Amino acid sequence: MSNGDARGRGWPWRRAAPSSVPVSRAPADGAIQIYHVSKSYSAGSFALRDVSLRFAKGEFVFLTGPSGAGKTTLLRLLFAAEQPSEGQIVVLGRNIARLGAPAIPALRRRVGVVFQDFKLLQRRTVEENVALALEVVGTPPRVARAKVFAILKQLGLQHRRYHHPLSLSGGEQQRVALARALVNEPEILLADEPTGNLDPGLTLEIMDLIASAATRGTTVIVATHQLEIVRRYGKRAVRLEAGCVTEDSAAGRVRT
Amino acid sequence: MRAMIRLGYFVRTAFAGLRASPVTTAVAVITIAVSLVLVGAFALLLANMEELLGRFGDDLQVTAYLEDGLSAEQVNELVRIVHTVEGVQAARIVSKQEALERFRAGVGQGSALLEGLGENPLPASLELTLAPEQRSAAGMARVVGSLEGLAGVSELASGQDWVEGYLRALALLRGIGWGLGLLLALATLLIVANTIRLAVFARRDELEILALVGASRAFVNGPFLLEGFLQGAAAGALALALLYALFRLVLPGFEFGLALLLGGVAPRFFEPHEMAALVAGGAALGFVGSAAALAGGGRA
Repeated sequence: MSNGDARGRGWPWRRAAPSSVPVSRAPADGAIQIYHVSKSYSAGSFALRDVSLRFAKGEFVFLTGPSGAGKTTLLRLLFAAEQPSEGQIVVLGRNIARLGAPAIPALRRRVGVVFQDFKLLQRRTVEENVALALEVVGTPPRVARAKVFAILKQLGLQHRRYHHPLSLSGGEQQRVALARALVNEPEILLADEPTGNLDPGLTLEIMDLIASAATRGTTVIVATHQLEIVRRYGKRAVRLEAGCVTEDSAAGRVRT
Repeated sequence: MRAMIRLGYFVRTAFAGLRASPVTTAVAVITIAVSLVLVGAFALLLANMEELLGRFGDDLQVTAYLEDGLSAEQVNELVRIVHTVEGVQAARIVSKQEALERFRAGVGQGSALLEGLGENPLPASLELTLAPEQRSAAGMARVVGSLEGLAGVSELASGQDWVEGYLRALALLRGIGWGLGLLLALATLLIVANTIRLAVFARRDELEILALVGASRAFVNGPFLLEGFLQGAAAGALALALLYALFRLVLPGFEFGLALLLGGVAPRFFEPHEMAALVAGGAALGFVGSAAALAGGGRA
């Protein structure tokens, strides 16, 4: 839409929009718009400081930077686990800062999240873990079973569906978590160090699966400190340091 | 369809939750049941006492003893006057002769003693039946007040004092019952709230994930509310069983005390709708206690 500086200083996309359109109702062609967002947990110390970013629909973006740079905080803001201290965040047309608690579930059904520690329920089978995301939205059991089987098959886990997570390898567990995040066909997939607990072979396997979600139109944001992954995929990379955006590979390029 | 799916999920999850912590659940159910037994026993006692009063209510009457030597016209005139008194439904004349017959029948084999009596010492009387709305200590007092000083009436007798005392005891017991009930209801709420809070804590990882995949608050809370409801209902049923056991096995051992309270009327157990009310009350307490725990807890 617009080229220019996206390092968190200007609002290049806003200049392109009609000036009468208020920020909170910016056109939804971007999946995520972040305007001058700061997050501080205690006075004077910032987890994020004046971050402005825009992610287009279907875009595949890496968030990089050292531990404590604010990657996790940024992702948590995007699925409304927290509210920004300052600034506005528009996710799929909804302003996170003004989202009331009752509206959060509806947003989360459109956003899949994957974590480094998988967050699987150990007492439930692989199938049940994945089905949880469908149960929540009231999918009829027969439909849910079919959808769960399809996604598990796609991720190569169909033979593991009656196993419990602890009997699986780390890579398999993360694939289950990924299946749970993708089974609802989310518009956005957020992954926080998804391969942090995996060895290099499995890392590529998981990353390829995540990348394939982006090719189907899902906006994918992966936070990682593993630069070799970022280099391998050659996608847009946003670097955070001490809560600030210090580098954005998309800067100066025309983004779609 | 969606509601059915959701209900199915709630039921499965609630039972899984109850099974996951059997000891906590059992302790909660038993404690609530004990509270309900206490309240239920009180309610049963009160119900029986009230029933007794109702039964005696039909017999509540005022007796006006007549002076000796009144002519038949004078007696009829008195009956006419008495009928005009508000609250009097009927008046029946009991002659001196009838009074003696009754006395004789009441004394039984000792009636031979009465043969020695030359003259019938018993007075004639008017037995006044009260209108239904006046069948209470207050109503009786009003009627007695209206009849006092009536020419030809030597004395007025009524069960007024007895009824008043009984009513006062009943009111006191009812007050104690309500106080006890409220106190125990509060205790029950706290017990359920605490149990549910423990259950929430035990399942916090699951709740975190549910929130993450977009579960609504109702979806997350539903199983916990159902759990509280089921605990309360189970406690109600258990309390009912305990009360029935007490009623059947223990009560007969206190016949004498019962006779004092109930005047020899056989005590009754709860009617079906009262049993349902006890179980429903337990369930409602469980539900509200659970709701209180969830309102306080919030979620991620």
